[in-house]
Amino acid sequence: MTCPYLSYRTSADSESFDEARAYCGAAERFVQPMRADICNDRFELDHAEDCGIYVEHASDDPDVSDPAVSTTAGGDS
Amino acid sequence: MSYERFLADDPVVVTAALTGGIHGKEANPNLPETPEEIGKAAAAAEEAGAAIVHVHARTDNGERAFSTARFQEIDDAIRRYADDVVIQHTTGATAAPTEKRHRSLRTDPPPEMASLDMGPLNRYDRLTSENTIATIDALYDEMADRGIKPEMEVFNDGHLNEVHGLLDRRDLGDLPYATLIFGPGTLTRPRPRNLLNAVDNLPEGALFNTLGFGRHQLPFATMGILLGGNVRVGLEDNVYYRQGELAESNAQLVERVVRVADELGREVVTPDQARDVLGL
Ligand code: SF4
Repeated sequence: MTCPYLSYRTSADSESFDEARAYCGAAERFVQPMRADICNDRFELDHAEDCGIYVEHASDDPDVSDPAVSTTAGGDS
Repeated sequence: MSYERFLADDPVVVTAALTGGIHGKEANPNLPETPEEIGKAAAAAEEAGAAIVHVHARTDNGERAFSTARFQEIDDAIRRYADDVVIQHTTGATAAPTEKRHRSLRTDPPPEMASLDMGPLNRYDRLTSENTIATIDALYDEMADRGIKPEMEVFNDGHLNEVHGLLDRRDLGDLPYATLIFGPGTLTRPRPRNLLNAVDNLPEGALFNTLGFGRHQLPFATMGILLGGNVRVGLEDNVYYRQGELAESNAQLVERVVRVADELGREVVTPDQARDVLGL
């Protein structure tokens, strides 16, 4: 599952691109390509564990869905 | 001692790191990402004086790509636009499976050079690029099988031990080549004394390349030229021309370092001369 803050956009503020790029709704900016692999949970990455921006925002954001948050807990339920 | 190479007027090899694997057009819209853009950037960098281009692959929207097919597309574009520049592929791939890191070595023909990260380093606040000894050996062995020269990337002084270790384990030939890297985080602190120390701790006879990240790119390149080393510049490592002013292109950064080398009396080599200097 990808990060709930992730969207793909061609523009935001004054920046625009030909191809839609990863945009972080928490940080309100386009995401670096290396970090986009975290946002998309590629390879063994998990945005809930591996992204500090997510961890910081999710803790006080009621809109973040529970399943994404629960992956942080280690899944021992 | 490397300074002897300066006194002997040994020529300098300039590498242009065109794209990288971390930031993209969101950091500088002039950073090339598609094969077409990378091909044209390589040609312009070569024209400006770069003998080697260091290559990473991206998808069309700038995200990291690791497939042999994508590296092949890029190499084909470089050969279409550039004259005779030496192609050096990355084998770096933070957090991606080790198997993917071998794929850049499998183009036809293989790249003449490839990077070999010599140990772990942190990325962001929660990732580590592992680079175990087993990974280094496996990547090196495939490079050796394919006739690819490794460019050993030394991100901190501990990695210098790993360079000596690899030379103990494997026969790298007469001219081992290491890039000494300075910057933030896990990297060696970018201070002149640390460059001198790193150069002093290289294996006997090793050639070195000098790389400072961000604002340290120009001063470290200049010091590297004075110490008889080679230099790497480009948008992978530094997106600014000067503080607050984005670089217009990789070629612009190459042109500047070529002017510095020229003022300091070191000839900048062509790709063919670089093949001789580095024993490719
Ligand atoms: S993983 Fe991190 S950077 Fe990516 S969208 Fe989520 S919060 Fe933003």
